[in-house]
Amino acid sequence: MTAPTTGRVWRFGDDVNTDVIHPPAFYSLDPDKVRRGLFHGYDPAIARDVRPGDVFVAGRNFGCGSSRETSIRAIKLNQVGAVVAVDFARIFFRNATNNGLPCLTPARPADLDLVEAGSRVTLDPVAATLTCADGTVVDLVPPGEFVRRIWAAGGLLNLLPGSAGG
Amino acid sequence: MSGRTISDKVIDEHTLDDDRSAQYRRVRVDAVLGHDATTALLIDDFERRGLSIWDKSKVLLTNDHFAPPATAERADISNKFLGWARGQGMPNLMLDKGICHQLLVEHELCQPGGLIVGADSHTIMAGAVGACATGMGATDILFTLATGETWMRKPASIAVRLRGELPEESGGRDVVLELLRLLGEAGAQYRSLEFHDETTTRLPQDDRFAIANMAVEIGAKFGVFAPDEVTEAYCTARDGRFLGNPVRPDADAVYERVVELDVTDLTARVAKPWSPGNVVPITELEEIPITSAFLGSCASGRLADIAAAAAEVEGKRVHPDVRFVVIPASVEVFKQALRAGYVETLTEAGAQFNHSSCGACGGIDKGVLGSADVCVSSSNRNFRGRMGHWDSRTYLASPRTVARAALRGALTPDLYRAGAALPGGTEEAS
Ligand code: SF4
Repeated sequence: MTAPTTGRVWRFGDDVNTDVIHPPAFYSLDPDKVRRGLFHGYDPAIARDVRPGDVFVAGRNFGCGSSRETSIRAIKLNQVGAVVAVDFARIFFRNATNNGLPCLTPARPADLDLVEAGSRVTLDPVAATLTCADGTVVDLVPPGEFVRRIWAAGGLLNLLPGSAGG
Repeated sequence: MSGRTISDKVIDEHTLDDDRSAQYRRVRVDAVLGHDATTALLIDDFERRGLSIWDKSKVLLTNDHFAPPATAERADISNKFLGWARGQGMPNLMLDKGICHQLLVEHELCQPGGLIVGADSHTIMAGAVGACATGMGATDILFTLATGETWMRKPASIAVRLRGELPEESGGRDVVLELLRLLGEAGAQYRSLEFHDETTTRLPQDDRFAIANMAVEIGAKFGVFAPDEVTEAYCTARDGRFLGNPVRPDADAVYERVVELDVTDLTARVAKPWSPGNVVPITELEEIPITSAFLGSCASGRLADIAAAAAEVEGKRVHPDVRFVVIPASVEVFKQALRAGYVETLTEAGAQFNHSSCGACGGIDKGVLGSADVCVSSSNRNFRGRMGHWDSRTYLASPRTVARAALRGALTPDLYRAGAALPGGTEEAS
């Protein structure tokens, strides 16, 4: 679940909120509707063109706003491999971690300027590195012990008492 | 040892692990809140894993997003949620009674000193009575429902000291919008905002709810008021006697930062599209014609808010180009507004009441905005596309400002200037 992911980069700015990531009109229990809603108002091409393994790269406070996990589901249903941001909103970070979507921050925020939209990168969540096509390596902050425990269990629910990972 | 803040103490008191230095504490919670839209997301996992709820008496559930449902799909989601909650025999399932956050603060589960989690970001509002309350996603909440526990980091605290005397035309909404202007959308990220009300007249409880509610718009994990006589009076009136365990900070508590805000000259504040942090004093706003005015949401649909709007529109008419929708935050609030005559006053002026629910706040229900709509709203978020069409525009303001703009048909820099002419030839009193 936390194997390295290789794909293209989608770039976003600061304060990208969950209503932009996944508009309320696409709230549903139907996975296909949730999947189609990803960044729908912002850029409908994203849900159309995103490929498995792609990486979202954003600025500050990614995922601020609502606690609705449909925003995480939409990212996961589109098989985005990981999100790198200067920092994350608290609830979004927890939700993503609980559901096995790696969210990482750069060791030096300015390094994210090296990561171009549309370029191919490989992100290794455990090694905490983002490797660009030209071989440049952006160091990420290694995930803490608690995050690694949830990743290793395959999600928070597997830490429930009596569960396989608990 | 240095002094502790409110959140330090509340987390210490709820810690289950022996290792108090660990980065994440295992904590027990006093109450869990859930609504139809987020709880529906966890039901399949709950049932697949054959879980049971650790203590049903500590869980408050309501349907507020789809109440009553507007589409067949949402009716199915609502029925799934209600069916599950009834099947579990939940004692605190509130059907069509209002917005979950308002129902929580109307309930004795919400006490000073408590640690509360909820499947919605505005759970933080319970901090207005001195609880450490925070929103989480469905997966975290499912874990807590099954165990009564969760993990938390002890957040650093930012103290907000409110001083001076709030002008009559301003309220809690203007205070919190000013804090958003000062701190920005991420200004309290991962922090506990600890509010100290040192104003001369003390902020009424409803103003405190508005402030604590929008603490999450500043990124905060908790938005907690240091409990005082206003808190005790509110809880005592609600519960018949005071049941709380008020937690106050030590005199030498360590804060990452102290924000001093003298509210004496605080004028109306407005957040422009598309960020709650995009705040200006109304006097610096250009004239913005509006098509829609919304008074409601968990941020500001309480009795004091409706009273302020009713006082503004009494004997006047809503501008003919404006649709003015009012949604009381709960059925209890609605009944109080009925008894006080506010519903009649607002209806006579041309406002329309919808059933207590989230309504258009999350772009969910009646009052959703079209592409050309411009709305002035007492809700908490004006994110792009949140209230409807991607091109619609929402300005956040206080209930009083919403009402004045509804009469004027516009947000104008002179909305609070004495003698400014209103439609129908009436003159403002103040
Ligand atoms: S009123 Fe708005 S902010 Fe409050 S719970 Fe409902 S959708 Fe969320």
